[in-house]
Amino acid sequence: MSMQRATATMDADVLIVGTGAGGATTAAILAEAGLDVLLVEEGDWVEQGAVVPFSLDQMDRQYRSGGVTVALGMPSIAYTEGCCAGGGTEVNSGLYWRPPGELLARWREQFDISDFDPDDLLAIADEVEADISVSTVPGGHTSPSEVLRRGADALGWRNGEIPRWMKYPPSKLASEPRSAVGERQSMTRTYLPRAMKAGARLALRCRVDRLVTNAGSARSAVTTLGDGSRGEITFRDVFVCGGAIQSPALLQRSGIRGHIGRTLAVHPTVKLAARFADALNVPDDVPVHQVKEFAPHLSFGGSASNPGLVALALLDQWATFKHAITQWRNISVYYAAITSEGRGRVRSLPGLKDPLVTYGLTHRDRELLRSGLGRLALLMLEAGATDVYPSFKGAPVVRNRRDLATMQGAFTAARASVMTVHLCSTVPMGEIEGKCGADSFGRVHGCRNIYVNDASLLPTAPGVNPQASVMAVAIRNARRFLDAGGCRG
Amino acid sequence: MQWLMRPVPALPIIGSFADRLLLADLPDLPPSDRRLAVDFVAHRVDNLPSFTRFGVMVLGFVFRGLLAVPGGFGVAKVLVKLPLPLVAEYPRLIRSLAFAYVWETWPNTTATGAKVAATA
Ligand SMILES: Cc1cc2nc3c(=O)[nH]c(=O)nc-3n(C[C@H](O)[C@H](O)[C@H](O)COP(=O)(O)OP(=O)(O)OC[C@H]3O[C@@H](n4cnc5c(N)ncnc54)[C@H](O)[C@@H]3O)c2cc1C
Repeated sequence: MSMQRATATMDADVLIVGTGAGGATTAAILAEAGLDVLLVEEGDWVEQGAVVPFSLDQMDRQYRSGGVTVALGMPSIAYTEGCCAGGGTEVNSGLYWRPPGELLARWREQFDISDFDPDDLLAIADEVEADISVSTVPGGHTSPSEVLRRGADALGWRNGEIPRWMKYPPSKLASEPRSAVGERQSMTRTYLPRAMKAGARLALRCRVDRLVTNAGSARSAVTTLGDGSRGEITFRDVFVCGGAIQSPALLQRSGIRGHIGRTLAVHPTVKLAARFADALNVPDDVPVHQVKEFAPHLSFGGSASNPGLVALALLDQWATFKHAITQWRNISVYYAAITSEGRGRVRSLPGLKDPLVTYGLTHRDRELLRSGLGRLALLMLEAGATDVYPSFKGAPVVRNRRDLATMQGAFTAARASVMTVHLCSTVPMGEIEGKCGADSFGRVHGCRNIYVNDASLLPTAPGVNPQASVMAVAIRNARRFLDAGGCRG
Repeated sequence: MQWLMRPVPALPIIGSFADRLLLADLPDLPPSDRRLAVDFVAHRVDNLPSFTRFGVMVLGFVFRGLLAVPGGFGVAKVLVKLPLPLVAEYPRLIRSLAFAYVWETWPNTTATGAKVAATA
């Protein structure tokens, strides 16, 4: 493999900024076609197994800013971004949802995306599913996952196991038959080795500060290396794949205007902790079931629930919830996620390294969060929870349906801990320049050789876990770049 | 503004308030563990994105100033209960970082911070 120390001067035909779901796939496609590809990544390479999933150690080593990032608003929305080789794919839950065909068709119509045939994208999804071993859990599910199934079944709500990009080594399954033995087929296991095998070079701990542009063309990038020194990379074409927050921020720092960073779309999420008579907590894995009865507007699933995260879920109403913490083994954390009508902004401010991120929920979003949390609490009661602790200030403990009504009355989104891990749509793709930052294939409007190829391109938040959509779109665009004779111009 | 962004370490600015807050919330947490939790919080604040860190450091100065006057911690506790969104976020950030640290590091900690023997 060709991992190299970032140096003060580097060059390549194609520079790819970021190694997540968008960057790694782009690199593999272009390198396998024979292009000279240099991938740069701000974070480090962390082998799977070197950190405990969902731990503070993982947050230190693999998340941007230790996982403490927030979109300011009323309420503010806490979000997280991966910052390591493989980006978000290394730290995420691995739950795979192929992009819904109707959604792809709607994107094509509403954003005027050329040659955007849902069938083509779904054919790419087939390839991806084979490449990253998308599969269901062999054997039984964990107890927190079963809670979702049981509660939804009792209410007659649509639910199911979501497959993951995991391999389950038979040797491990024999000794420990549960989902936690899965090996996540993230980018460091799949597309990055593939890209490097085909000749791509990967420079770690190398942050691209800005692209040097002139009349819509970029020929070099200014970088900061791990030791704080500055560097320069020259290239013919550049793919910006830093994720939906960092990509627009980099474009703005490079003086690129247009529809960049104005339409951040996320899946805002509210949580609760549910306590059961028996121990069920699985500290290092998440449930694989999701409840889709009210999808795409509202979905329910399970969150990471190590004792630290249980404490966080109880924090908003600590005075009355705190005694539950000693029972964390009997507690698991669940979420209600919505597709939001509201939008956010990413703004680079002069002199600041990080962008300012803001988000505004609409009235409809707030009501959906309220009803979502109420329905999720009901589901927990139906699944046998003895106590439900909703994560908002002033929340009551919910033990029966009467408490549910009290809870619904007390909820306001402004008092809730709202968070998200799905960030999209800051450089939406399509031909309508007034509402799209990039063209139908990811080239930034008004630029000749600057492409975006990550979650920023998705025109809206998809209402399902987004990584599959990000990968399918990125592969499509990389192939189109080759077909159009990219890099030979 | 730049000097608030990075070079000034967070610990001297936020440490005393974080320590008082944790002492009030988790009175039975051993002082050495409390110190570790405060160090952890400060380390995280040092790594916040520039804009958030700026806000946290400004609030840190205000709260540190309050602690320097007699009865200041009481005033601070009243202040954070007022409907002033950013002010209330400050103790919340400290608590959430510290609590995540305490219970991840010592899962058998009671609601007051005491350690109990691990149950199977
Ligand atoms: C905790 C968590 C759980 C999630 N769970 C799921 C799930 O179960 N299923 C699902 O489908 N999706 C999930 N997601 C979302 C999914 O991970 C993302 O949609 C996907 O990773 C986005 O890919 P991307 O290429 O846009 O960005 P990323 O994967 O975030 O990659 C961007 C990379 O670029 C690097 N970078 C950024 N700026 C620069 C720069 N200037 N210079 C150099 N490098 C830079 C970053 O460090 C990062 O490594 C989850 C995300 C998180 C954080």
